[in-house]
Amino acid sequence: MTRIKRDLIAYLLIVGFCILMLSWAIPEYTPAYPGYGASPALMPIVSVGVILFMACLSLIFVGVSLYTNKPPPVEEREFPEDLDDDSGFTQVGRVNLAHLASIMIPSVLLVVAIEYIGYMLASFAFLLVLQYVIGSRKWLQTIMVAIILTAVLYVVMRYGFGVPVPGPQIFE
Amino acid sequence: MEMIIAGLLDSVSPASLMFLLVGVGVGVLIGAIPGINGPMAIALFIPITYYMTPLTAIGFLVGLNKGAFFGGAVSAVLLRTPGTPEAAATSWDGYPLTQQGKGEKALRMALYSSVAGDFISTVVLIVIAAPLAAVALFMGPAEIFALISVALTVIAGIGTSSICRGLMAAGLGIMVGLIGTEPVTALPRLTFDVYQLGSGLSLIPVAIGLLAFSEILLQLEKIAGKGGGSHAAIAFSKKLEDRLLSFKEFFSNIKTLLRGSLIGIGVGAMPGLGAPVASFMSYDQAMKRSKKKEEFGKGSLEGIAASESANSSVVAASLIPLFVLGIPGNLAAAMLMGAFMIHGMQPGPLLFKENAQLMYGIYGSLLLASLFLLVIGRFGLRYFCKAVNIPAMILYPTVVFTCIMGSYLGKSSMFDVGVMLTFGFIGYFMRKFDYSYVAFLIGFILAPEWERALQQVVIISEHDPFMFFQRPVAMVLMALTLFVIARTFWVSINAGRKKRVEAAAAAAGQHKSD
Repeated sequence: MTRIKRDLIAYLLIVGFCILMLSWAIPEYTPAYPGYGASPALMPIVSVGVILFMACLSLIFVGVSLYTNKPPPVEEREFPEDLDDDSGFTQVGRVNLAHLASIMIPSVLLVVAIEYIGYMLASFAFLLVLQYVIGSRKWLQTIMVAIILTAVLYVVMRYGFGVPVPGPQIFE
Repeated sequence: MEMIIAGLLDSVSPASLMFLLVGVGVGVLIGAIPGINGPMAIALFIPITYYMTPLTAIGFLVGLNKGAFFGGAVSAVLLRTPGTPEAAATSWDGYPLTQQGKGEKALRMALYSSVAGDFISTVVLIVIAAPLAAVALFMGPAEIFALISVALTVIAGIGTSSICRGLMAAGLGIMVGLIGTEPVTALPRLTFDVYQLGSGLSLIPVAIGLLAFSEILLQLEKIAGKGGGSHAAIAFSKKLEDRLLSFKEFFSNIKTLLRGSLIGIGVGAMPGLGAPVASFMSYDQAMKRSKKKEEFGKGSLEGIAASESANSSVVAASLIPLFVLGIPGNLAAAMLMGAFMIHGMQPGPLLFKENAQLMYGIYGSLLLASLFLLVIGRFGLRYFCKAVNIPAMILYPTVVFTCIMGSYLGKSSMFDVGVMLTFGFIGYFMRKFDYSYVAFLIGFILAPEWERALQQVVIISEHDPFMFFQRPVAMVLMALTLFVIARTFWVSINAGRKKRVEAAAAAAGQHKSD
């Protein structure tokens, strides 16, 4: 997919989101005008309006560019594998859904699991999975890192800040 | 005078000194690790500051930021992998020196230039912020509303190649910032019946998600499955003249250093430009004015002095718009603004009136942070060099887990962890699709103040739509907002046209040669 086509899809999705916000979310979840000051819906409408206007404008730019069939800049002709350079200035590139899922799913599972099996077990398991996903295959090191990190964060939270760690506790 | 003395005494209390020292040390260490920068470090450490006094907390975070700015030079010089974007120019001359075995000399030049730039900029901040804030006190809600509008439009251009996408990101940030209790009716707005949203989204999980978690998602993409690995060992020459920086070498670059500091102060004081701009501008000026132009890019100490003095002087200078107007000039200032708000203070001109003692305490901490940076950098340089070799297998799980637990720490709520993950996910797509997360975050932080100013304008003027035309400063600022938008559009359209013409010419040339 070329970058210009990807942007086109993104703009269309944003327009859809704005229409949903303006037609349903803002009227439904904003208090009624109390009769003084500005309406509570004004600022949300203005902010969504700006997004909608800019998305429509971008769509026009993209449309004109596609319609007139001007030769697009090099980076728009074929979507690059990765435009990122070592300096970290730009991170525009192809979305790697498999990678994203490999980090996000264990993270979401940690949030759910921590409420049921407690901080210790959930964190230990999460760190094992995370290190495996990153590419660690040295099992002793992986287990040690998981144990040490779990323990250090526990001590820092429980005794350093006096904050109870989330979920049921196996040592209390 | 009593306030000044009391404030300065607060800044030298044992707790303040200890946390300031720890902040600078941790900042240098974190900045030295490629991929972790100052604002990200502030986001990760803000939850810890919940448990500190306001002065200790702000001192710690300022120290962290100052340390990270210098730390970025360590990996830039040793690996040609800038720890922070602003250190990129440092790597152009620092790395060639490392290849010649003179890495330690390059780092010393970077350290002294950083400290000098930072110190000069802190003095300028101290001298001009309070008088400017006194002038800013005459600004009413109309001017504040107009000023935030200008700031948002200027900032919308940061971190993206398109002003449209920048404004979309700022608009989304404002909308997210409006979630919670509406100020006039005190009723929930856009909460979707989720009771945890009643008090709005906390800055900490949003900032950690956008700045730290999404960045780690991107960095892991490059190394996942490859096992990470460490960099090659860095060899320093054992000759003293290759390791140490002589007085002559330092003072021969003093003009460049001063020029860099002034450029950094100018750039830092203007919202939206940021340290990379200062660093490149200073490097460019140094190269143009140097008698040894040919040495630039091959290991010139002058190049390092130019880049480091400029980027470090941005740190304190970016606090000028924050302290004077309550407008964060860059991401680090935005995070510091969040820290002020967490501790119950609203940055802006009233800060000097309502919290004078605290402000002088912060000034004391800012000056002490420069001193600590010099001491820590001078004696710990060789140890910080080892930070660039922390294995990815240990670094990334630690950062990810700290993101998760740091989000929990603020309110002891797993809901905030969910918010952090959500914004990490959004941040990943924003970066990939070239939407400015900086504009989003600053819009999110400024939204409540923007709305408050608008409500005051509407109530005071009794719904008079011409209120802005009756206030000359507000009118000028609103006109400036429109000018900034129009100019940015014009520049980006022209740039796009130029690109297309060049591409067409290149394609025609290719066709001919075929």
